[in-house]
Amino acid sequence: MNEAVKTTNAEAGAQPILEIENLSISFFTRAGEIPAVMDFSCTVMPGEAMGIVGESGCGKSTVSLGVMRDLSNVGKIVGGRIKFQGRDMGEMSEQELRSVRGNKIAMIYQEPMASLNPAMKVGKQLMEVPLLHEKVSRAEAYNRSVEMLRAVRLPDPERMMRSYPHQLSGGQQQRIVIAMALLSNPALLLLDEPTTALDVTVEAGIVELVKDLGKRFGTSMIFVSHNLGLILETCDRITVMYSGEAVETGTVKDVFDRMRHPYTQGLFRSIPLPGADKNSRPLVAIPGQLPLPHERPRGCNFGPRCHHFVKGLCDADEIPMIPVKGHEAHFSRCVRFNEIDWTALPEGATKATEPVKPGAPVLKVDDLRKYYRVAANEVFGGGEDRVVKANETISFEARESETVAIVGESGCGKSTLAKVLLGLETASAGSVKLANTPIESTPVEERDVKTVSSIQMVFQNPFDTLNPSHTVGAQIERTLEKFHVGNSPADRHKKMLELLDLVKLPRPFASRKPRQLSGGQKQRIGVARAFAGNAKVVVADEPVSALDVSVQAAVTELLMDIQRENKTTMLFISHDLSVVRYIADRVIVMYLGYIVEQGTTDQIFAPPYHPYTEALLSAIPIADTSVVKKHIVLEGDIPSAMNPPTGCPFQTRCNYKHLVPDDLCETQVPPHRDLGDGHRSLCWLTDDVLAAMEPVISFDRKHAEEEGEPEDVPYHAERTSAAGDPGFAGPPPERPHGKLSSAEADEAEFEAEEAEEAMRARREEHRDDVGGQQAGRRESRRNAAVPITSDRVGSGRQAVDPGAPSAFDERRAPSRRARAAVGAARSAPPADRDRPPPMRRPKQPDDLKLISGVGPRIEAALNDLGIYRFEQIAAWKKAERQWVDARLKFGGRMERHDWVTQAKALAKGGEAEYFRVFGRKPR
Amino acid sequence: MGHLHFLTWPEIILHVIAFRLWPVWLSLAIVMGLSYRYKKRLGLYGQLYDTGIGVVGIFILGFWFFCAVFSHYVSPFNPLGQIAVMRNALPGAIEPQSGHAYLFGGDRLARDVFSRMIDGSRIVLLIAPLATLVALTVGVTLGLPAGYFGRKTDSVLSFLANLVLAFPVILLFYLLVSPEIVQTGLPRITAGVFFAFPVILGALAFWTRYSGRPVLLAIQLAIVLIITYWLYSTFVFYTDPLHLIEVTPSTLNIFVAVVFASSPGVFRIVRGLVMDIKTRDYVAAAQTRGENPWYIMIWEVLPNARGPLIVDACLRIGYTTILLGTLGFFGLGMPPESPDWGTSIKDGSELLRIYIHPALPPAIALMSFVLGLNLLADALREQSLKD
Repeated sequence: MNEAVKTTNAEAGAQPILEIENLSISFFTRAGEIPAVMDFSCTVMPGEAMGIVGESGCGKSTVSLGVMRDLSNVGKIVGGRIKFQGRDMGEMSEQELRSVRGNKIAMIYQEPMASLNPAMKVGKQLMEVPLLHEKVSRAEAYNRSVEMLRAVRLPDPERMMRSYPHQLSGGQQQRIVIAMALLSNPALLLLDEPTTALDVTVEAGIVELVKDLGKRFGTSMIFVSHNLGLILETCDRITVMYSGEAVETGTVKDVFDRMRHPYTQGLFRSIPLPGADKNSRPLVAIPGQLPLPHERPRGCNFGPRCHHFVKGLCDADEIPMIPVKGHEAHFSRCVRFNEIDWTALPEGATKATEPVKPGAPVLKVDDLRKYYRVAANEVFGGGEDRVVKANETISFEARESETVAIVGESGCGKSTLAKVLLGLETASAGSVKLANTPIESTPVEERDVKTVSSIQMVFQNPFDTLNPSHTVGAQIERTLEKFHVGNSPADRHKKMLELLDLVKLPRPFASRKPRQLSGGQKQRIGVARAFAGNAKVVVADEPVSALDVSVQAAVTELLMDIQRENKTTMLFISHDLSVVRYIADRVIVMYLGYIVEQGTTDQIFAPPYHPYTEALLSAIPIADTSVVKKHIVLEGDIPSAMNPPTGCPFQTRCNYKHLVPDDLCETQVPPHRDLGDGHRSLCWLTDDVLAAMEPVISFDRKHAEEEGEPEDVPYHAERTSAAGDPGFAGPPPERPHGKLSSAEADEAEFEAEEAEEAMRARREEHRDDVGGQQAGRRESRRNAAVPITSDRVGSGRQAVDPGAPSAFDERRAPSRRARAAVGAARSAPPADRDRPPPMRRPKQPDDLKLISGVGPRIEAALNDLGIYRFEQIAAWKKAERQWVDARLKFGGRMERHDWVTQAKALAKGGEAEYFRVFGRKPR
Repeated sequence: MGHLHFLTWPEIILHVIAFRLWPVWLSLAIVMGLSYRYKKRLGLYGQLYDTGIGVVGIFILGFWFFCAVFSHYVSPFNPLGQIAVMRNALPGAIEPQSGHAYLFGGDRLARDVFSRMIDGSRIVLLIAPLATLVALTVGVTLGLPAGYFGRKTDSVLSFLANLVLAFPVILLFYLLVSPEIVQTGLPRITAGVFFAFPVILGALAFWTRYSGRPVLLAIQLAIVLIITYWLYSTFVFYTDPLHLIEVTPSTLNIFVAVVFASSPGVFRIVRGLVMDIKTRDYVAAAQTRGENPWYIMIWEVLPNARGPLIVDACLRIGYTTILLGTLGFFGLGMPPESPDWGTSIKDGSELLRIYIHPALPPAIALMSFVLGLNLLADALREQSLKD
């Protein structure tokens, strides 16, 4: 059977594995026919990975089920065709379909536990596949299964074969499901949100596996996900769906960097990509909400939410997929994409706010511990009690109007910490002080009203946060009553309506039941409830993670606006470091009950990292084509809190363990080491190893340069001839907002004058953009450090931000010794013959920081190269300058600031001479 | 028996449907017609009209409900009245004096089977839902804390529930009706204990919610007290101040037995539901604003457990009805004259090999009533899942 499949593949050559033509699927319910998918087309070639992305209810899963012809009894394909390997699936008999399903087309679902039969051993379930589809012998089936388990990198496959699904962790289960899908050697693999139920670091492992297997077995894939970052990591082409329709399809590169549909752009603008900043570059949410399937507007479905909507044009008629000329296989369902200025930000999206000044500490947690005793037998006692250490030695502080993020994966103790703070649990040891009142051992029933109302919570799941039996208004009023706000029911009713205004919901919503509200609206009510009693501290437990991408941004902004106004301290619990980087002032990273690292956002996102933080950073999928991530995949799963490892909690998965002598990691819990400025890390690693760590996330400059002038974009001259054709893509779009710029916008010590210089450079750039389309071409002349786009451009990745946290920066090269220690692969350095002659460290090295553009870090980097004196820099020739610039990845700042001239002056006559030449003092 | 005149079968059917049951049909038509017309506004009850099963269920239950309500008009004879000439009369026999027919014949004590069947519905429709309601409040009041607090509370209460469930039910009934036990006053004391639960539940509900508004709370507690007074005086002291219901010691026995037997089942369901619902965020939200645990149980948790509870209550009324039939069949509890369906079946069964007609109508009545309840429960479950 396998052979047969292979030969057909080979003969078919360029024949697509799957062709979907104008597929329409409807569900027939009590309310009549509800179209779930309309006019959906896509083609998947052999070995290709197609990503389908969209928000909940957009029909992406229905498409994958439609391909399997596995719609429930109410679903029906009402139009279009699905051709699998050239054969129309609609014409196949039920028997033929059965032989295709699970054999040539395999599907992997979201919940691994739900895909495995809990009553059967894993081995038996795996062996079923070849036994059923290929009628091989049992021994053969067994061997193949073991082989496949090895291929999905599961340890000890023989033992796995003998286990029941519940004995395995979520990540292992999903690997087994993948193995099962691949056992039949399918031509097409459908993955429906395969990693959504898993933790981030586990997800990273699965994604890597899927990518790798796709290459190894040449399987075509359809990858359904709501996460743009995942699609970028796994797919070649992408289809964006909105409200039952594909709105844009093309190669990942085209859609990510040169999107031609306003919805796609809106999506990108509402996710926190590197470069977004809550103060200077806030996220831009898509207004409104997804239309209900039976209330879709005429014409463009996205019309009511679109900034570019034109009456009479967009709602005139149903819009087909229009090819984007000049882009290969790039289609958009937008009639105006040629007229839209893809670089302009929507009205009111450019607001910038002052960064808040944190005030006095409001919440102090000192050496907090929370242990649970798990009794062996509840009724009769007896047996030995076991202790689960949910929180260990937790110490931190949160100040007024500050946002402190608590980051960690499931089971790290972040929710327990929240429970202790709110009084749902009491601490086993240590102290918690809320505005100098100790609250660690007062359960919430015994707290006075003031304490209760001053620490409140926003919950994670919008579908759970409101009681479905009471109206929204009644629930808020009850909260007000409990907090002694208002004297009479009428008073409270008035206050409740004001709270609705505060969270930007219409007042009539007060009489609605929660089920009449969308997820985002429910979460707003949750926010209103938390702020009802003028809370001093609000604990937000993943408040947006369950919401759709386009709504997330709006709720995040709302939360921050209210926080800013009320000067509330927010504890933001999350597993998503992108959001954390965007929203938080300080970050606490937790693992298995311990705080493994804490510090300001800049400190956490820049090396030195705690090894776990590093892995976590690397695991987040980032939807930005120019981001290059250091690839760190952790082995295994998070240990159970019931049975934690000895010594360092992270030692079972740590990649750096071999660098610590004497098995310290395995025997002793490391100390909280202070790395300066309150940056604390729970790690045994020595300073030089830490110093050698590289940034996990950096920007691929080469890619960005290409982006500046894509080869496949028609030149300017052609543009006039094709101007009237909506299929023409127009000029090469501006590089979406300065991905590069943060390579330049840099370390914390970036100075005002530097910023001024950068601005000047950008203004220059802007003129170039306006002047002609040659900007990108001239890029080679210019140093790549300058953002290729003008700073008014925004695709949501608004990164022209000097304060952008520096994890995303490129940074000094590590010293050689340290590099050898880490043993990480690096790109080859430029030819060493241009290297400026080093010298030994003199007794009194010059203060290189006097040169504008050199901070303490850069000075240290220069010292590493053996450069200690102004004379050395003053003597540099162009080649040497370029070498240093490239080596240290300054992105041209050396030229801009003209270090050589400065150094010459300083070498000649010190500060006095500098003042004479430049008319100002060195800093 | 040769001197009796008989109606033909078509005539019997015509008499039953048109001449006797017309008030039932009329009321049914009005209620169901109006309900169907405004089903959109009637919530879960209105949605029942969207399914065939639901409509059939409502129809059957509505039929018996109106039979019970209009039993004086529907039944042509006194259900206890014996007219000697009609002994074991076949269906359709015309009673010579009044000229009315024994539509379903006469039983061995010469009573009208049709009238007894119609009047029997009164007893069933009074005891079964009320006993289920009391069992429900008992189960809820004990199940809420067991599920919510867990640990020791749960261990103790669950153990008690298991104890009751493990006790042989029939033996329990024999004990409850034996005169020695009745003389000790045990059934009355137990009834007194059972009726305390609705009172506790009501008082707790109002007190936890409205303690901030004393006037409103006082009014509500007064209403609870009045209802308590009526319940106790009617059921425990057999003197209904309003003379609405007449409760006899034997009815009370049955009542106590049924509540005792079915409340552990309710307890278990409530406990399980609470354990699930208490993990929801809105419960945590209530906790973090410092709510009383009983407020959370009654106002946050209980309303969200209503779906499964309503379905269970429907099924439980059915079981209770069957239980009542069984008790009647064993001759336990109800006086031997009683027209309830169980007793009627027992009476009819004695001559079953000669005359089948006295036993069949009450059996069919019992079956159809339970079937209606089951259909309704099915429809409710289906509809609540859709929402």
